[in-house]
Amino acid sequence: MKATLERTDLLKSLTHVHRVVERRNTIPILSNVLIRADGGELRLKATDLDLEISETVPALVEAPGATTVPAHMLYEIVRKLPEGSQVVMETSSDQATLEIRAGRSRFALQMLPESDFPDLTAGDFSHSFEVAAADFRKLIDRTQFAISTEETRYYLNGIYFHTVESPNGARFRAVATDGHRLAQAEVAAPGGAVGMPGIIVPRKTVGEIQKLLDEPEANVAIELSETKIRLTTGPVVLTSKLIDGTFPDYGRVIPQGNDKELQVERAEFEKAVDRVSTISSERGRAVKLAMSEGRMVLTVNNPDSGSATEELVVDYDAEPIEIGFNSRYLLDIANQLTSETAIFRLADAGSPTLVQNSGADDTLYVLMPMRV
Amino acid sequence: MAVRQLSETVINRIAAGEVIERPASVVKELVENALDAGASRIEVVTAAGGKTLMRVSDDGAGMTAADLALAVERHCTSKLTEGDLMDIRTLGFRGEALPSIGAVARLTIATRNAEEPHGWEITVDGGEKGEVAPSALNRGTRVEVRDLFFATPARLKFLKTDRAETAAITEVVKRIALAHPHVRFSLSGPDRRQPLDFPAATGPDARLARIGQVLGSDFVDNAMAIEAEREGVRLTGFAGLPTYHRANALQQFFFVNGRPVRDKLLLGALRGAYADVLARDRHPIVVLDLDLDPHQVDVNVHPAKADVRFRDSQLVRGLMVGAIKRALVEAGHRASSTGGREALDFARPNGVDPRTGGWQGGNAQAAPARPWSGGYAAPRHVPSRPSGDAQDWRLSAFRPLHGEGASGVEVLEETAQDAGAFGFAESQAPFAGFDATSADTRADAMPVDAGLQAHPLGAARAQLHANYIVAQTEDGLVIVDQHAAHERLVYERLKDALAAKGVASQMLLIPEVVELAQEDVERLLDRADELAECGLVLESFGPGAVAVRETPALLGDTDIRGLVRDIADDIADMSEATRLRERLDHVAATMACHGSVRSGRRLRPEEMNALLREMEATPLSGQCNHGRPTWIELKLADIEKLFGRR
Ligand SMILES: Nc1ncnc2c1ncn2[C@@H]1O[C@H](COP(=O)(O)OP(=O)(O)OP(=O)(O)O)[C@@H](O)[C@H]1O
Ligand SMILES: [Mg+2]
Repeated sequence: MKATLERTDLLKSLTHVHRVVERRNTIPILSNVLIRADGGELRLKATDLDLEISETVPALVEAPGATTVPAHMLYEIVRKLPEGSQVVMETSSDQATLEIRAGRSRFALQMLPESDFPDLTAGDFSHSFEVAAADFRKLIDRTQFAISTEETRYYLNGIYFHTVESPNGARFRAVATDGHRLAQAEVAAPGGAVGMPGIIVPRKTVGEIQKLLDEPEANVAIELSETKIRLTTGPVVLTSKLIDGTFPDYGRVIPQGNDKELQVERAEFEKAVDRVSTISSERGRAVKLAMSEGRMVLTVNNPDSGSATEELVVDYDAEPIEIGFNSRYLLDIANQLTSETAIFRLADAGSPTLVQNSGADDTLYVLMPMRV
Repeated sequence: MAVRQLSETVINRIAAGEVIERPASVVKELVENALDAGASRIEVVTAAGGKTLMRVSDDGAGMTAADLALAVERHCTSKLTEGDLMDIRTLGFRGEALPSIGAVARLTIATRNAEEPHGWEITVDGGEKGEVAPSALNRGTRVEVRDLFFATPARLKFLKTDRAETAAITEVVKRIALAHPHVRFSLSGPDRRQPLDFPAATGPDARLARIGQVLGSDFVDNAMAIEAEREGVRLTGFAGLPTYHRANALQQFFFVNGRPVRDKLLLGALRGAYADVLARDRHPIVVLDLDLDPHQVDVNVHPAKADVRFRDSQLVRGLMVGAIKRALVEAGHRASSTGGREALDFARPNGVDPRTGGWQGGNAQAAPARPWSGGYAAPRHVPSRPSGDAQDWRLSAFRPLHGEGASGVEVLEETAQDAGAFGFAESQAPFAGFDATSADTRADAMPVDAGLQAHPLGAARAQLHANYIVAQTEDGLVIVDQHAAHERLVYERLKDALAAKGVASQMLLIPEVVELAQEDVERLLDRADELAECGLVLESFGPGAVAVRETPALLGDTDIRGLVRDIADDIADMSEATRLRERLDHVAATMACHGSVRSGRRLRPEEMNALLREMEATPLSGQCNHGRPTWIELKLADIEKLFGRR
């Protein structure tokens, strides 16, 4: 194999691809990236057996062929090569090493045969559709923080994507929850998505997709089956297994009849929560919110260090209510909201609270209170 | 197939299967019989791990000819008064041991009772009972068991190596000996290199003396006396300091009314008592006696009599956890003395007694650059007047400490530079090490306050390697691991706070349904209020399941099923939800670790002394959260020994 290509192109692709490779591997070939030179391009591919990313880079191919070399090392090498340089990749005559040359630098990396490289792409997809990269990114950005990291409830370790019918047509919806809070975001369902099976996309895949979708104008082609998802954007193809589990019937926990409505200036609220929670030293410390006509009092008590109170002017005219929340959860949600005013819909101190942007209804958050 | 009555021999062999598992079980039964007969000395001889021979001789009451004939019959016992199983005051009561042994081995019993003119003996050979015949024995009883399991070859196959069986016998004898300090025990035979001999101990400290004989004096030095009584149940004995621990639970000895037992409830209570001073995989050493009205305890749970059942297990458990915890708190900052002793062993160069000379510089740090001249065989040197070759003296690590501090202790301050001035450029090597050490001598600038020295942990004198505080006490010196000590202090503070303000709970959006055995469900629901106090709220969810509605906020996004199952197990095992507390404490411990002074931080003298005082004031500060000591003490006497001054 022999190919010549631009360092910039190669680095960009390697940046996408090498992240999939785990730092520590028991199977040696999984530390490697597959390189295949053929017909005017170089295809790079890496996998951790659950997730695979492959990408093509234009190249001048003198001798077609394929091999695998350590991914992180190749990435580091290319990253350190001088900007604007041309990179030549050539396998040695004994097929033991891959030589990489640029300017006066020269590296020889040990290879493993490409025939051993695992392939994840087998299988048919039942649904395929296109969605704007910006839309898909939004679904992920708004819900990712609520994914559970607790591994025994594996079915919560990802984002649940599915379609629902609504008065304004079919919606493509993403939901994530860790059992303490829930985040939901939706966009108009693209044609072809309607009727798709509900799928749970694992956390690591979600993170990688997020990083790939950095050009908002682009489109993303999505193909999926009950067990796999494939996403194509530009030269990149990502294929991932899905979480094999049943996402809980989340609709039941989204409160419908919470009648105490509160409107608060989002940025002010976020800062106030942040300030009062300084006093708490440990995770899981509660902020108490006391609402009464036109005002909200935030209190944190820490017997070790003292207490903090802050008062905000809010729009509230229902019965007074006191309710405690984990301060970190409040901050997370305040961070997620995009409108100037945040809307809280409350029932009582022991029931879920609904939080939304004002005006728009394409995202919503549900938060369970704490008891102190 | 017709139903038939089994023959006596077969019945005995079946029974033997339960009572006699291995040679050690025979020894146990025979020694217990000897104790029941009021023996004051018991001699055990074994060969080939007891497989070929076990002989137990005692000086007890012996048996008459008539009793002897009956003793080897099934269900014959002299011990059950009016057949009251609820009132067992002897070790034996089933009347099963001798016939069982007789059924599977060659058994000979020789005995002499005071009422008889001479001794008698009888032989039972694989169930074949011989005649009672006169014997020359004129005192006590001698029981000899040969060829164990020759009559049941299948059993033979399950025996372990001679060495393993010998060790098991030793364990059994030690266990029983611990409970009977007034009886002399000896154990010998061709299968052991070192015969064991535990002479009878007398006086008020007999028990402690016996414990020393059996477990070694280290344990005695590192044990806390336990004594407590509640509603007629008495707990006495000794429990090891948390810093003196083992990787397994083999050295945990429990006796109920003098009977060695291995009981789940007691083991669980012990674990609970030590839960926050020992890492999960370390085990304390204890010798504990529980004495109570025989009516309050059932020992007839299993033929081997190692399990017991208490009428009021809550009482027993509470008594034990309470008594040990109290002792732990009282022992306060006391740490294991072996720490200091082990340190001394390290310091002793090559283990060679300096007085005998022949020192080859085994201690790398202190090694002189050139060997000591042969003539300098008395290192009882007077630093201010070095004898012999001045160069040799100068180059050794035993340079005199300059000046005479008010306290007689000074911290080395000279550096390699001074040595360089002497012009011994070729031999500066030994100083390199000195230069690299990081003795912070700021504490030394303070005048030594005799008042501070009187405190158990003394007056801080220096900080070494930015982590070890060296303090001077009236009769020695103390070295404190500052990180470990501070971690413990923070942990204790957090735990107090946790207990004081209660535990906040996070309500769950979707209740977690956990499926369990119905008994577990009921156990959990019984304790629902107590669990709720710790932040875990659960309720019944149909048969065989609970729904968890709230979890302790401190645990964050946690494995709820695992937690609930563990707690159900805990309640079943030891009727207390220790694991939930433990987990909360564990979070506290992790936070403590992050919040404590890292090693590597220099402390001002005031800070060091404050740390020492706080350690003295904090219960359980003698070990870190992992059971490692936070400080060790070297007595002046020990240090003097090290230098051959004593
Ligand atoms: N060393 C001994 N000295 C005096 N009497 C003995 C001795 N060993 C056994 N005996 C007598 O023999 C009887 C039978 O002993 P055996 O061990 O079979 O039963 P046990 O001790 O009564 O009950 P267990 O089966 O629970 O041990 C005893 O009750 C006792 O009277
Ligand atoms: Mg007996």
